[in-house]
Amino acid sequence: MTGLFLINILLALAWGAVTGSFAEVNLLFGFLLGTMALYLIREQAGSDRYLRRFWLIFVLAMTFVYELVLSAVRVASIVLRPKIELKPGIIAYPLTVDRDFEITMLANLITLTPGTLSVDVSDDRSTLYIHCIDVPDKQATIDDIKNSFERKILEAFR
Amino acid sequence: MTPFLEIAVGLVLVIGSAFSLIATLGLLRLKDVYMRMHAGSKAGTLGSGLMLIALAVHTGEVDVLTRALAGVVFFLLTAPVAAHLLAKASYEVGYRPCSDTHIDEMGKRDT
Amino acid sequence: MSGLAEFSSAFLDVCVNISLAVLTVAFVLIVLRIVRGPTLPDRVVALDMLVAVGIGYIAAIGVQTDYFLYVDIAIALGLVGFLATVAFARFVLNRGLARDPTIVDEIRETELREGRSKANVAGSAAPQGEGAR
Repeated sequence: MTGLFLINILLALAWGAVTGSFAEVNLLFGFLLGTMALYLIREQAGSDRYLRRFWLIFVLAMTFVYELVLSAVRVASIVLRPKIELKPGIIAYPLTVDRDFEITMLANLITLTPGTLSVDVSDDRSTLYIHCIDVPDKQATIDDIKNSFERKILEAFR
Repeated sequence: MTPFLEIAVGLVLVIGSAFSLIATLGLLRLKDVYMRMHAGSKAGTLGSGLMLIALAVHTGEVDVLTRALAGVVFFLLTAPVAAHLLAKASYEVGYRPCSDTHIDEMGKRDT
Repeated sequence: MSGLAEFSSAFLDVCVNISLAVLTVAFVLIVLRIVRGPTLPDRVVALDMLVAVGIGYIAAIGVQTDYFLYVDIAIALGLVGFLATVAFARFVLNRGLARDPTIVDEIRETELREGRSKANVAGSAAPQGEGAR
Protein backbone atom coordinates (compact mmCIF):
# COMPACT_ATOMS: atom_id res chain seq x y z
CA MET A 1 0.00 0.00 0.00
CA THR A 2 2.71 2.50 1.01
CA GLY A 3 4.81 1.16 -1.86
CA LEU A 4 2.21 2.23 -4.38
CA PHE A 5 1.93 5.61 -2.72
CA LEU A 6 5.70 6.07 -3.07
CA ILE A 7 5.49 5.03 -6.72
CA ASN A 8 2.77 7.62 -7.19
CA ILE A 9 4.97 10.33 -5.65
CA LEU A 10 7.85 9.16 -7.80
CA LEU A 11 5.65 9.48 -10.88
CA ALA A 12 4.75 13.01 -9.81
CA LEU A 13 8.44 13.90 -9.43
CA ALA A 14 9.16 12.35 -12.82
CA TRP A 15 6.41 14.49 -14.31
CA GLY A 16 7.98 17.54 -12.70
CA ALA A 17 11.41 16.63 -14.09
CA VAL A 18 10.09 16.00 -17.58
CA THR A 19 8.09 19.20 -17.77
CA GLY A 20 10.91 21.18 -16.14
CA SER A 21 8.88 22.75 -13.36
CA PHE A 22 8.61 21.75 -9.73
CA ALA A 23 5.89 24.23 -8.87
CA GLU A 24 3.26 22.84 -6.47
CA VAL A 25 0.49 22.92 -9.03
CA ASN A 26 2.54 21.08 -11.61
CA LEU A 27 3.54 18.44 -9.06
CA LEU A 28 -0.09 18.05 -8.04
CA PHE A 29 -1.05 17.61 -11.66
CA GLY A 30 1.74 15.04 -12.04
CA PHE A 31 0.40 13.23 -8.99
CA LEU A 32 -3.04 13.08 -10.56
CA LEU A 33 -1.53 11.83 -13.82
CA GLY A 34 0.36 9.18 -11.86
CA THR A 35 -2.85 8.08 -10.19
CA MET A 36 -4.44 7.80 -13.61
CA ALA A 37 -1.49 5.73 -14.85
CA LEU A 38 -1.86 3.42 -11.86
CA TYR A 39 -5.54 3.17 -12.67
CA LEU A 40 -4.71 2.00 -16.18
CA ILE A 41 -2.51 -0.84 -14.91
CA ARG A 42 -4.69 -1.66 -11.93
CA GLU A 43 -5.04 -5.31 -12.83
CA GLN A 44 -1.36 -5.99 -13.39
CA ALA A 45 -0.02 -3.97 -10.44
CA GLY A 46 -2.83 -4.73 -8.04
CA SER A 47 -3.39 -1.04 -7.45
CA ASP A 48 -7.13 -1.50 -7.28
CA ARG A 49 -7.34 -1.40 -3.49
CA TYR A 50 -4.96 1.56 -3.32
CA LEU A 51 -7.10 3.65 -5.65
CA ARG A 52 -10.23 2.54 -3.86
CA ARG A 53 -8.80 3.74 -0.56
CA PHE A 54 -7.87 7.05 -2.15
CA TRP A 55 -11.42 7.43 -3.32
CA LEU A 56 -12.86 6.49 0.07
CA ILE A 57 -10.65 8.99 1.89
CA PHE A 58 -11.80 11.62 -0.58
CA VAL A 59 -15.43 10.67 0.08
CA LEU A 60 -14.76 10.88 3.82
CA ALA A 61 -13.28 14.36 3.45
CA MET A 62 -16.25 15.49 1.40
CA THR A 63 -18.67 14.06 3.98
CA PHE A 64 -16.75 15.98 6.62
CA VAL A 65 -17.19 19.31 4.84
CA TYR A 66 -20.83 18.60 3.98
CA GLU A 67 -21.68 17.70 7.56
CA LEU A 68 -19.89 20.79 8.86
CA VAL A 69 -22.02 23.05 6.68
CA LEU A 70 -25.14 21.12 7.64
CA SER A 71 -24.36 21.37 11.34
CA ALA A 72 -23.56 25.07 11.16
CA VAL A 73 -26.91 25.66 9.46
CA ARG A 74 -28.65 23.53 12.06
CA VAL A 75 -27.02 25.38 14.95
CA ALA A 76 -28.02 28.61 13.23
CA SER A 77 -31.64 27.51 12.98
CA ILE A 78 -31.63 26.52 16.66
CA VAL A 79 -30.09 29.79 17.76
CA LEU A 80 -32.37 31.97 15.66
CA ARG A 81 -35.54 30.36 16.99
CA PRO A 82 -37.44 32.84 19.15
CA LYS A 83 -37.77 30.31 21.96
CA ILE A 84 -35.06 27.77 22.59
CA GLU A 85 -36.51 24.52 23.83
CA LEU A 86 -34.00 21.73 23.73
CA LYS A 87 -33.42 18.42 25.41
CA PRO A 88 -29.66 18.15 25.72
CA GLY A 89 -27.99 15.06 27.11
CA ILE A 90 -24.75 13.17 27.43
CA ILE A 91 -24.96 9.73 25.86
CA ALA A 92 -22.57 6.80 25.87
CA TYR A 93 -21.65 5.63 22.40
CA PRO A 94 -20.22 2.11 22.03
CA LEU A 95 -17.17 2.28 19.77
CA THR A 96 -16.49 -0.26 17.05
CA VAL A 97 -13.24 1.31 15.91
CA ASP A 98 -10.41 0.67 18.34
CA ARG A 99 -7.23 2.26 17.00
CA ASP A 100 -6.22 5.61 18.48
CA PHE A 101 -6.07 7.28 15.11
CA GLU A 102 -9.55 6.13 14.17
CA ILE A 103 -11.02 7.15 17.51
CA THR A 104 -9.51 10.62 17.14
CA MET A 105 -10.90 10.87 13.63
CA LEU A 106 -14.35 9.75 14.72
CA ALA A 107 -14.35 12.10 17.73
CA ASN A 108 -13.41 15.04 15.51
CA LEU A 109 -16.07 14.14 12.96
CA ILE A 110 -18.68 13.83 15.69
CA THR A 111 -17.82 17.22 17.11
CA LEU A 112 -18.25 18.84 13.72
CA THR A 113 -21.59 17.16 12.98
CA PRO A 114 -25.06 18.42 13.79
CA GLY A 115 -25.76 18.70 17.48
CA THR A 116 -23.11 16.38 18.83
CA LEU A 117 -19.86 17.07 20.69
CA SER A 118 -17.54 14.37 21.94
CA VAL A 119 -16.62 14.91 25.57
CA ASP A 120 -14.56 11.93 26.70
CA VAL A 121 -13.36 8.44 25.89
CA SER A 122 -13.55 5.78 28.56
CA ASP A 123 -10.23 4.38 29.73
CA ASP A 124 -10.72 1.01 28.01
CA ARG A 125 -11.48 2.79 24.71
CA SER A 126 -14.83 1.08 24.32
CA THR A 127 -17.13 4.03 24.94
CA LEU A 128 -17.26 7.56 23.65
CA TYR A 129 -19.23 10.06 25.69
CA ILE A 130 -21.08 12.50 23.47
CA HIS A 131 -22.91 15.65 24.47
CA CYS A 132 -25.95 16.16 22.26
CA ILE A 133 -27.60 19.53 22.02
CA ASP A 134 -30.99 17.96 21.35
CA VAL A 135 -31.57 14.28 21.90
CA PRO A 136 -35.19 13.19 21.94
CA ASP A 137 -34.22 9.63 21.01
CA LYS A 138 -30.89 8.31 22.16
CA GLN A 139 -30.82 5.18 20.03
CA ALA A 140 -31.59 7.11 16.84
CA THR A 141 -28.54 9.32 17.38
CA ILE A 142 -26.28 6.33 18.02
CA ASP A 143 -27.56 4.51 14.93
CA ASP A 144 -27.08 7.63 12.86
CA ILE A 145 -23.39 7.90 13.77
CA LYS A 146 -22.87 4.15 13.41
CA ASN A 147 -24.28 4.10 9.90
CA SER A 148 -22.60 7.16 8.49
CA PHE A 149 -19.22 8.03 9.97
CA GLU A 150 -18.02 4.93 11.67
CA ARG A 151 -18.81 2.83 8.61
CA LYS A 152 -17.02 5.29 6.33
CA ILE A 153 -13.95 5.39 8.57
CA LEU A 154 -13.83 1.61 8.70
CA GLU A 155 -14.12 1.43 4.93
CA ALA A 156 -11.40 4.00 4.33
CA PHE A 157 -8.78 2.82 6.79
CA ARG A 158 -9.19 -0.94 6.94
CA MET B 1 -9.93 39.27 -11.18
CA THR B 2 -13.14 38.70 -13.07
CA PRO B 3 -16.30 40.49 -11.97
CA PHE B 4 -18.12 37.26 -11.14
CA LEU B 5 -15.29 36.11 -8.90
CA GLU B 6 -15.40 39.46 -7.15
CA ILE B 7 -19.13 39.13 -6.49
CA ALA B 8 -18.61 35.59 -5.21
CA VAL B 9 -15.86 36.77 -2.84
CA GLY B 10 -18.17 39.46 -1.48
CA LEU B 11 -21.01 37.00 -0.92
CA VAL B 12 -18.74 34.47 0.82
CA LEU B 13 -17.41 37.22 3.09
CA VAL B 14 -20.92 38.23 4.10
CA ILE B 15 -22.01 34.62 4.64
CA GLY B 16 -18.91 33.91 6.73
CA SER B 17 -19.43 36.92 8.95
CA ALA B 18 -23.12 36.00 9.30
CA PHE B 19 -22.09 32.57 10.60
CA SER B 20 -19.74 34.23 13.07
CA LEU B 21 -22.58 36.40 14.30
CA ILE B 22 -24.87 33.38 14.61
CA ALA B 23 -22.23 31.54 16.63
CA THR B 24 -22.01 34.56 18.90
CA LEU B 25 -25.78 34.68 19.33
CA GLY B 26 -25.60 31.00 20.25
CA LEU B 27 -22.94 31.82 22.80
CA LEU B 28 -25.31 34.35 24.36
CA ARG B 29 -28.58 32.48 24.16
CA LEU B 30 -27.77 28.85 24.92
CA LYS B 31 -28.01 27.74 28.49
CA ASP B 32 -24.86 26.00 29.65
CA VAL B 33 -21.21 25.82 28.74
CA TYR B 34 -21.55 22.52 26.88
CA MET B 35 -24.28 23.83 24.61
CA ARG B 36 -22.35 27.05 24.01
CA MET B 37 -19.45 24.96 22.81
CA HIS B 38 -21.66 23.55 20.06
CA ALA B 39 -22.25 27.02 18.67
CA GLY B 40 -18.63 28.12 18.98
CA SER B 41 -17.01 25.05 17.51
CA LYS B 42 -19.27 24.64 14.48
CA ALA B 43 -20.65 27.93 13.24
CA GLY B 44 -17.52 29.75 14.42
CA THR B 45 -15.16 27.46 12.53
CA LEU B 46 -17.23 27.63 9.38
CA GLY B 47 -17.42 31.42 9.59
CA SER B 48 -13.71 32.09 9.91
CA GLY B 49 -12.85 29.34 7.41
CA LEU B 50 -15.16 30.83 4.77
CA MET B 51 -13.70 34.29 5.24
CA LEU B 52 -10.15 32.99 4.97
CA ILE B 53 -11.00 31.20 1.71
CA ALA B 54 -12.61 34.40 0.41
CA LEU B 55 -9.37 36.29 1.09
CA ALA B 56 -7.32 33.63 -0.70
CA VAL B 57 -9.59 33.61 -3.75
CA HIS B 58 -9.50 37.39 -3.82
CA THR B 59 -5.70 37.48 -4.06
CA GLY B 60 -5.92 35.05 -6.96
CA GLU B 61 -2.53 33.45 -6.38
CA VAL B 62 -2.13 29.73 -6.13
CA ASP B 63 0.41 29.65 -3.30
CA VAL B 64 -1.80 31.90 -1.17
CA LEU B 65 -4.76 29.66 -1.93
CA THR B 66 -2.90 26.52 -0.85
CA ARG B 67 -1.76 28.26 2.33
CA ALA B 68 -5.29 29.38 3.11
CA LEU B 69 -6.65 25.88 2.46
CA ALA B 70 -4.00 24.45 4.78
CA GLY B 71 -5.08 26.99 7.38
CA VAL B 72 -8.75 26.02 7.02
CA VAL B 73 -7.89 22.31 7.36
CA PHE B 74 -5.89 23.24 10.43
CA PHE B 75 -8.88 25.05 11.95
CA LEU B 76 -11.11 22.11 11.14
CA LEU B 77 -8.73 19.79 12.96
CA THR B 78 -8.10 21.99 15.99
CA ALA B 79 -11.58 23.34 16.76
CA PRO B 80 -12.99 19.93 17.80
CA VAL B 81 -9.86 19.16 19.82
CA ALA B 82 -10.11 22.43 21.71
CA ALA B 83 -13.84 21.96 22.37
CA HIS B 84 -13.28 18.38 23.48
CA LEU B 85 -10.46 19.31 25.88
CA LEU B 86 -12.46 22.10 27.42
CA ALA B 87 -15.62 20.00 27.75
CA LYS B 88 -13.67 17.17 29.32
CA ALA B 89 -11.87 19.49 31.73
CA SER B 90 -15.05 21.22 32.86
CA TYR B 91 -16.88 17.92 33.28
CA GLU B 92 -14.06 16.35 35.28
CA VAL B 93 -13.81 19.37 37.54
CA GLY B 94 -17.54 19.19 38.20
CA TYR B 95 -19.35 21.89 36.25
CA ARG B 96 -22.80 20.42 35.83
CA PRO B 97 -24.75 20.62 32.58
CA CYS B 98 -27.96 22.64 32.77
CA SER B 99 -31.10 21.20 34.29
CA ASP B 100 -32.69 20.44 30.91
CA THR B 101 -30.11 17.72 30.39
CA HIS B 102 -32.24 14.62 30.64
CA ILE B 103 -29.65 11.91 30.00
CA ASP B 104 -26.25 11.89 31.64
CA GLU B 105 -24.56 8.59 31.06
CA MET B 106 -21.19 9.97 31.96
CA GLY B 107 -22.29 10.42 35.54
CA LYS B 108 -22.93 6.68 35.83
CA ARG B 109 -19.39 5.55 35.28
CA ASP B 110 -16.95 5.12 38.13
CA THR B 111 -14.53 7.97 38.24
CA MET C 1 -18.26 44.83 -19.75
CA SER C 2 -16.73 47.72 -17.86
CA GLY C 3 -20.13 48.45 -16.36
CA LEU C 4 -20.20 45.00 -14.86
CA ALA C 5 -16.65 45.37 -13.58
CA GLU C 6 -17.53 48.66 -11.93
CA PHE C 7 -20.60 47.13 -10.34
CA SER C 8 -18.67 44.14 -9.03
CA SER C 9 -15.94 46.17 -7.38
CA ALA C 10 -18.53 48.44 -5.79
CA PHE C 11 -20.42 45.35 -4.66
CA LEU C 12 -17.26 43.91 -3.11
CA ASP C 13 -16.65 47.16 -1.23
CA VAL C 14 -20.18 47.09 0.17
CA CYS C 15 -19.80 43.42 1.12
CA VAL C 16 -16.53 44.05 2.96
CA ASN C 17 -18.12 46.88 4.89
CA ILE C 18 -21.18 44.80 5.75
CA SER C 19 -19.07 41.93 7.00
CA LEU C 20 -16.88 44.25 9.06
CA ALA C 21 -20.02 45.72 10.64
CA VAL C 22 -21.47 42.28 11.36
CA LEU C 23 -18.20 41.15 12.90
CA THR C 24 -18.13 44.24 15.09
CA VAL C 25 -21.58 43.41 16.44
CA ALA C 26 -20.39 39.85 17.08
CA PHE C 27 -17.31 41.21 18.85
CA VAL C 28 -19.39 43.32 21.22
CA LEU C 29 -21.74 40.43 21.98
CA ILE C 30 -18.78 38.14 22.77
CA VAL C 31 -17.35 40.71 25.14
CA LEU C 32 -20.78 40.77 26.80
CA ARG C 33 -20.57 37.01 27.29
CA ILE C 34 -17.04 37.25 28.67
CA VAL C 35 -18.14 39.85 31.20
CA ARG C 36 -21.28 37.98 32.19
CA GLY C 37 -19.55 34.65 32.57
CA PRO C 38 -20.96 33.03 34.67
CA THR C 39 -18.24 30.39 34.87
CA LEU C 40 -14.61 30.16 33.82
CA PRO C 41 -15.24 27.66 30.97
CA ASP C 42 -17.91 29.98 29.57
CA ARG C 43 -15.35 32.74 29.38
CA VAL C 44 -12.82 30.44 27.74
CA VAL C 45 -15.34 29.43 25.07
CA ALA C 46 -16.08 33.10 24.46
CA LEU C 47 -12.37 33.91 24.16
CA ASP C 48 -11.99 31.09 21.65
CA MET C 49 -14.83 32.59 19.66
CA LEU C 50 -13.14 35.99 19.92
CA VAL C 51 -10.13 34.54 18.11
CA ALA C 52 -12.40 33.19 15.36
CA VAL C 53 -13.94 36.64 14.92
CA GLY C 54 -10.44 38.13 14.88
CA ILE C 55 -9.51 35.82 12.00
CA GLY C 56 -12.65 37.00 10.21
CA TYR C 57 -11.57 40.62 10.71
CA ILE C 58 -8.12 39.93 9.33
CA ALA C 59 -9.60 38.23 6.26
CA ALA C 60 -12.03 41.07 5.59
CA ILE C 61 -9.34 43.72 5.99
CA GLY C 62 -7.04 41.68 3.75
CA VAL C 63 -9.69 41.78 1.02
CA GLN C 64 -10.16 45.50 1.53
CA THR C 65 -6.46 46.37 1.34
CA ASP C 66 -5.43 43.73 -1.26
CA TYR C 67 -2.55 42.72 0.98
CA PHE C 68 -2.37 38.93 0.90
CA LEU C 69 0.24 38.52 3.63
CA TYR C 70 -2.72 38.74 6.01
CA VAL C 71 -3.39 35.06 5.30
CA ASP C 72 -0.27 34.09 7.23
CA ILE C 73 -1.20 36.35 10.12
CA ALA C 74 -4.65 34.77 10.27
CA ILE C 75 -3.16 31.26 10.35
CA ALA C 76 -0.71 32.25 13.07
CA LEU C 77 -3.55 33.78 15.09
CA GLY C 78 -5.52 30.55 14.72
CA LEU C 79 -2.54 28.58 16.02
CA VAL C 80 -2.06 30.87 19.01
CA GLY C 81 -5.80 30.78 19.76
CA PHE C 82 -5.83 26.99 19.71
CA LEU C 83 -2.82 26.78 22.03
CA ALA C 84 -4.41 29.31 24.37
CA THR C 85 -7.62 27.30 24.57
CA VAL C 86 -5.67 24.11 25.26
CA ALA C 87 -3.70 25.88 27.97
CA PHE C 88 -6.91 27.22 29.51
CA ALA C 89 -8.44 23.75 29.47
CA ARG C 90 -5.39 22.38 31.29
CA PHE C 91 -5.64 25.28 33.71
CA VAL C 92 -9.31 24.59 34.46
CA LEU C 93 -8.55 20.90 34.96
CA ASN C 94 -5.51 21.39 37.19
CA ARG C 95 -6.94 24.18 39.30
CA GLY C 96 -10.26 22.37 39.58
CA LEU C 97 -8.69 19.12 40.71
CA ALA C 98 -6.59 21.08 43.18
CA ARG C 99 -9.88 22.48 44.56
CA ASP C 100 -9.06 26.09 43.79
CA PRO C 101 -11.46 28.18 45.92
CA THR C 102 -12.74 30.31 43.03
CA ILE C 103 -13.55 27.31 40.88
CA VAL C 104 -15.12 25.42 43.80
CA ASP C 105 -17.36 28.42 44.44
CA GLU C 106 -18.38 28.55 40.80
CA ILE C 107 -19.18 24.84 40.79
CA ARG C 108 -21.26 25.18 43.94
CA GLU C 109 -23.13 28.01 42.26
CA THR C 110 -23.90 25.95 39.16
CA GLU C 111 -24.99 23.08 41.37
CA LEU C 112 -27.33 25.37 43.25
CA ARG C 113 -28.71 26.67 39.99
CA GLU C 114 -29.05 23.36 38.18
CA GLY C 115 -28.99 20.87 41.02
CA ARG C 116 -32.54 21.34 42.23
CA SER C 117 -34.07 19.63 39.23
CA LYS C 118 -31.27 17.09 39.19
CA ALA C 119 -33.27 14.77 41.43
CA ASN C 120 -36.15 14.36 39.00
CA VAL C 121 -33.94 13.69 36.00
CA ALA C 122 -35.25 10.33 34.91
CA GLY C 123 -32.84 7.44 35.13
CA SER C 124 -29.81 9.59 35.57
CA ALA C 125 -27.17 8.57 38.02
CA ALA C 126 -26.75 10.11 41.42
CA PRO C 127 -24.87 13.38 41.04
CA GLN C 128 -21.33 13.35 42.24
CA GLY C 129 -21.39 15.85 45.08
CA GLU C 130 -18.52 18.03 46.13
CA GLY C 131 -17.32 15.41 48.55
CA ALA C 132 -17.07 12.71 45.89
CA ARG C 133 -13.43 13.37 45.23
